[in-house]
Amino acid sequence: MPYGPIPILKLGSTLLATIQIELHDTVVDSFQNDVLEEIERTGSNGLIIDISALETVDSYVARMLANTGKMAKLMGAETVIVGMRPAVAATLVRMGYFMEGISTALSLEEGLELHARRSKLPDGMVDS
Amino acid sequence: MDILKLDDQELKRRLAFFELTDEDFKRLTALKPFAERWTNEITEGLYELIMGQQESRAFFPDQATLARVKKLQNSYFLGLFSGTYDLNYVRDRLRVGTAHERIGMPPKLYLGAYRRYLALIHARLQDHFKGNDAEAFKALSTIRKIIFFDMALAIDTYISAYLETMTRHQAAIRELSTPVIKVHDRILLLPIVGTVDTQRAHQIMETVLVQIVEQQAKVMILDIAGVPVVDTKVADHILKTTAAVQLLGAQTILTGISASVARTVVQLGVEITRVHTRSKLSEGIELALSIVGKKITSNRERAEGGGA
Repeated sequence: MPYGPIPILKLGSTLLATIQIELHDTVVDSFQNDVLEEIERTGSNGLIIDISALETVDSYVARMLANTGKMAKLMGAETVIVGMRPAVAATLVRMGYFMEGISTALSLEEGLELHARRSKLPDGMVDS
Repeated sequence: MDILKLDDQELKRRLAFFELTDEDFKRLTALKPFAERWTNEITEGLYELIMGQQESRAFFPDQATLARVKKLQNSYFLGLFSGTYDLNYVRDRLRVGTAHERIGMPPKLYLGAYRRYLALIHARLQDHFKGNDAEAFKALSTIRKIIFFDMALAIDTYISAYLETMTRHQAAIRELSTPVIKVHDRILLLPIVGTVDTQRAHQIMETVLVQIVEQQAKVMILDIAGVPVVDTKVADHILKTTAAVQLLGAQTILTGISASVARTVVQLGVEITRVHTRSKLSEGIELALSIVGKKITSNRERAEGGGA
């Protein structure tokens, strides 16, 4: 495989994955595994996936991303997909794919803000 | 010129289609003395027709203009017999066409005048060849070829000029149909006026998405007060746009929903509850402001708040 794994960075209680390469099916599969294992290892309560570098997202990748979000949620981590390009959004919607239940944000910065706001909610797990 | 895509290849094809051969070129060159001898008379004859009718006369308001175009006409005529029919010749002919188009001379006058022109040339040719009808006929046939060749170029310039205008207008209409307005920091507004068909709906979606990302807007207000009919198709387009906006991480507020539109949408069974909706644009703007954490207050309220 010419591609290395997609790096997953830990920022406080949040995990950050920036996808910089075209997502082929095998890459997506291993990405999903890596992310879930990393959540389990670190106990993070947030996951931000930055897809601003992706020019195309096919239905398989979209479904995998959405599913990863659902799985992360089961493990107690909220997922935010950030930086989707206009053309990608238009294509997904035209394919009838709305990625329900997944939060989105315009930029990484906004994604982090959204996550910070959420983690301040009820159960009091506020970190500084 | 660009639209016509005229290059050496195209020139060759055109000459071939008008059956202009080397023999014709030679004959035209040989007729040069004839042209020089009669050009003034032929021009005068042509303008007799043009000045005799009010519609065509209107294009030549004064003597100076008339004298100038007659001179141009003479050099045009001599050009027919120059012997070189290359891209420069074509360019010169296109200029003639453009000039006619620009002053708004309709093709019917242009072509009508050519008819008189050919008749004048024919009459002079018969004199020139003094009863040698066969030669006169050959000469006329050659001249007819080159004149038709010229006319085709002129008509093409007319058409390409119209096409260019049309393309410009279409672009202008397209742009006008999706004017995205910045209402406030991170709040955009798109008033939709007129019918929304599929093509326009795509364009609206594209503009909305691109503008949101470009301006990093949090909220997009779609005001549909100017859309006469909202049927299932239009509703579907709006919902898709809303969903796509959501994917980017922004929100849509739908405003300008009239009583009749609300009724139709519900009767059609369109699920529109997931979208923020307001009946008036002003309410939509207030909602948008609250989403970005701001609100409109009156000056007095602010003064009191400051004092407290």
